Amino acid sequence: MAAREKLNDLLMDVFLLDDGELGDELRRADLDTWDSLGTVSLAVGVEEVFGYHMTPEEATGLESVGGLVALLRTKGIEIE
Amino acid sequence: MSTILEQGAGASIEALDRAWETPETFAFLPARSSIDAAWAEKVLRALPDHLRQDHFALLTSGSTGRPKLVIGARSRAERLAKALHAAQNNEAAARAVVALPLSYSFAFVNQWVWATVHERKLIPTEGFRDPAALRQALVDARDAMLCLVGVQAPLLAAAFEGEVFNGVIRLHFAGGRFPQEQLPTLRQLFPRASITNNYGCAEAMPRLTVRSAEANELSANVGRPLPGIELSADDTQLLRFRSVYGAVAVFEGGRLREIGTEDWVPTGDLAEQEDDGTWRLLGRTGEVFKRHGEKVSTAQMLETVGQTWTAEAATYPDEDRSGEPGYVLVLAPAPDQVGVRTLLRVIRSRHARAQWPLRIEGRETLPRLANGKVDAAALSAEEGPVLWDQRT
Repeated sequence: MAAREKLNDLLMDVFLLDDGELGDELRRADLDTWDSLGTVSLAVGVEEVFGYHMTPEEATGLESVGGLVALLRTKGIEIE
Repeated sequence: MSTILEQGAGASIEALDRAWETPETFAFLPARSSIDAAWAEKVLRALPDHLRQDHFALLTSGSTGRPKLVIGARSRAERLAKALHAAQNNEAAARAVVALPLSYSFAFVNQWVWATVHERKLIPTEGFRDPAALRQALVDARDAMLCLVGVQAPLLAAAFEGEVFNGVIRLHFAGGRFPQEQLPTLRQLFPRASITNNYGCAEAMPRLTVRSAEANELSANVGRPLPGIELSADDTQLLRFRSVYGAVAVFEGGRLREIGTEDWVPTGDLAEQEDDGTWRLLGRTGEVFKRHGEKVSTAQMLETVGQTWTAEAATYPDEDRSGEPGYVLVLAPAPDQVGVRTLLRVIRSRHARAQWPLRIEGRETLPRLANGKVDAAALSAEEGPVLWDQRT
């Protein structure tokens, strides 16, 4: 499965999104499910799916899906 | 003192008829019980003199799995049967199709004692252990009452899809969540039946409240107490009752505890009284808890689940990775991913994340106790596919 597909599945799982809601422009402020527990779920999910353990600062500092994609890119995980 | 082991509905009816005619107290035990008859006889022999005659004892393993021998007075059970008869206009029912084990207090009082007091006929079946025989009994039924537990509603729908049983005119549910979402199907199966939600517990021997299916849209609403019964909730919302029909004693954990008519008896459920005087269940005491400061009621979550999922559902407690309490939602049979997504969308739209299940698991069927209730211990011990994980 491609990295983008894995990320989309993860985001749908963690934030209970539909296909149409996905995209890098999706912001934390726009999602009621991206709360503190959602941040924990996302961090656990990123480690499970991509093998990268986010620091608490990285996890709580994310503001959008695009920010997560950029963070993963700096760790050598390319999301096409 | 004697002990009767349930051996099929027909044989049990004959044994109960004989036991009711003799004064000595007897125990009526389910056939599939972890408690042996010798234990029950030992308890009976140790009863104080005033309980050694004109009483009966039923075993409740309950959903917690801790066995209790609940002792009722025959005169009270007969009074309750008469009160039910009057409260529900059951005089129209001339017979009852037995589809539950009679050792289950709801079936014992609502069907066997009722039939004894009012000289009505019982039609024994083995319930869903022999669906063909149950179907035939329902086809042959005339002006009949049928008592079920809520979890049997999906079984009815699956086993008898498209059939119509005009001979059933009273349909009673008790024992766990009332299958409100199954009402359209139930009305197709039993178009002439009035459908009733009954609530109670073994210590109530067994009934506390009653409401017609149409009286409320929430399955958790159990209506008002029967005449002779009072309900109250304490500061923690624990529901308690006082009843002129209730059990007179309970043997549990090696001790006999007698219950007076003025004693408040905890039901083990949490509840709130609505403005109209009816009561709404919030869940068992262990089923309402706080998670990250948010109140979680698994009964309310199952109410939400029932809006879109009409097959079997149950929950069991668990903790997340940080040790915070939560619960696992179990669905049977396991839905496909589309079904899971649909359900999750409904949950997302109505509940804060702290109220979401930790996981959703699938099972082929839910493990059941002999009385049809979900076996909580077996549910958490069994393994099934994880359909969704909140990852907290």
